[in-house]
Amino acid sequence: MTRHPSESLLALFAGGELGRFGKWRVERHIEGCADCQRDVAEFSALRSEVAAASDMPEVDWNRLAVEMKANIRLGLEAGACIEKRPVRMSFSPRALAACASLLLLVAAFLLERPMPRAAEVKAPEAAILEASGMGIQVKEGEQALMLLNPGAHDIHYSATGGAMRARYVDADTGNVTINNVYVQ
Amino acid sequence: MCSSKTVRLIFAGVAVGCWLVSAPVLAAQESPLDLHSSIRINFPPKSPIVPLNTSVDESRATPRGGVMVVDLHMALSLRNAGSQHIRGVTLLVTAQEVTPGGKASVAVPSLDVPPGETFPVRIDLRLLRPLQLGNTPLVVVSLDGVLFENLTFFGPNDLNSRRSMTAWEMEAQRDRKHFKTVLSAAGPDGLRREMLDSLARQAERPRIDVRVSRGRATSAAATPEQLAQFAFLKFPDSPIEPTNGWAEIAGNEARAPRIEVRNRSSKPVSYVEIGWIVKDREGREFLAGSVPGADKDVLLPPGQTGRVLQDTTLRFSRNAGEPVTIASMAGFVSQVEFADGKVWVPDRSSLENARLLRVLAPSPEEQRLTELYRNKGLSALIDELRKF
Repeated sequence: MTRHPSESLLALFAGGELGRFGKWRVERHIEGCADCQRDVAEFSALRSEVAAASDMPEVDWNRLAVEMKANIRLGLEAGACIEKRPVRMSFSPRALAACASLLLLVAAFLLERPMPRAAEVKAPEAAILEASGMGIQVKEGEQALMLLNPGAHDIHYSATGGAMRARYVDADTGNVTINNVYVQ
Repeated sequence: MCSSKTVRLIFAGVAVGCWLVSAPVLAAQESPLDLHSSIRINFPPKSPIVPLNTSVDESRATPRGGVMVVDLHMALSLRNAGSQHIRGVTLLVTAQEVTPGGKASVAVPSLDVPPGETFPVRIDLRLLRPLQLGNTPLVVVSLDGVLFENLTFFGPNDLNSRRSMTAWEMEAQRDRKHFKTVLSAAGPDGLRREMLDSLARQAERPRIDVRVSRGRATSAAATPEQLAQFAFLKFPDSPIEPTNGWAEIAGNEARAPRIEVRNRSSKPVSYVEIGWIVKDREGREFLAGSVPGADKDVLLPPGQTGRVLQDTTLRFSRNAGEPVTIASMAGFVSQVEFADGKVWVPDRSSLENARLLRVLAPSPEEQRLTELYRNKGLSALIDELRKF
């Protein structure tokens, strides 16, 4: 490959999303091209940063799977009960309308009602302090307090005892801002 | 066959149901925050700084899974109601129901605010809290301290902000003096070179990600622990001499550092902080942080030996998670507070001689001045230096 691959090809390559032939071609090219090697490294770093910055809440998949299995089992059992008692179906549009409305009302009530979570028993998680590209945070289980540093480009992080610090010059005010989060 | 009345009835029922289902969901998607219900500003009655205005524009609460993500962007406008120039302010930020053991602070050092003038402070924070929590104020912002130009202090000082702000002010005086000396000795060109050197150092300074937890962290990698000794960089004028120190090292984790220090000054010392440098297997040095003295200050009389220790675990990584294996460690005295409240920081020549300038972050004042030079040029920097 004499010409440089396009940026989109390099980005796909960095993410391992190219097909076999495309991957082989880009690999062959970047073996001898320092510029493209650097671009690929930058794309990889960017992907890692994006992955680190995304803060999707943790989902307890095991609990969800157990609940789903239980619901399926319940549905099958309910179906089996109904099968045992054959009833003569008579179609009534008024009854259908009433049922549909009632069903939606119940669904609305269930969705709006805050779900109690007190029954959840979890081992207490230790509070940790950490830095990400967005700021510094004190995190305890699913709860977190994060001080952000929007728009700052030169951020100096440091850890001191039970505290973490981020220091930068605020782009709007021109003042140095020092954010700290603490854990007791 | 369905009559038209029945069809209308079905449609009406479905429409009402859909509205009932979707209304709370849509309403919960994203909602702007109300200033009064989400923030409480709590300054003491005789505070020398007075909050004039608070804005929370672009603040939002968004449900995500089982938690509420609250983005708070506060712009505070504060007025110096005292009679002296203000050099620094520290605000305590608490969200007690979110992080029961956690708190935060926002400090603004290197200020020069005359009496009667206003100045801005921005607080940008994100809270992750369970959905079912009530509507009590999410965040309480209170004053921890104000430092004045004569190094007097006002405030409850719960976060020891007096010591931190005094140390930053000492560093600011040291670095302004250095740059003024360069200006008078080598002229504007010399100052420009100095600024460019500083910017280059800041850009090339090796960075490391540190994660801190109290006590012993649960490391996934079962790397065997070893006790590693600190090597010390000593400054001739330091009132404290580190004599011995070690920490437990396991892979990319370092925990429970303990450092023995001797007070070689003639005054009792109430606080010592040791800068902590780690070296990886490739020989790169990083500033890992610092080991402060005990949380409750301990008095170290002249000639006596004491111990600086910390029950935390630090985990080092770089490039978004790549572990940094610790090969060796070094320490230096970065801050000392005497019992009379005076603070010692290393002088510029000591840092240069120990080749620490390339590892350490610049002082807040050096960071501010280099940023001023970068944004507004040399003449703005010279005007700024002449103000002090």
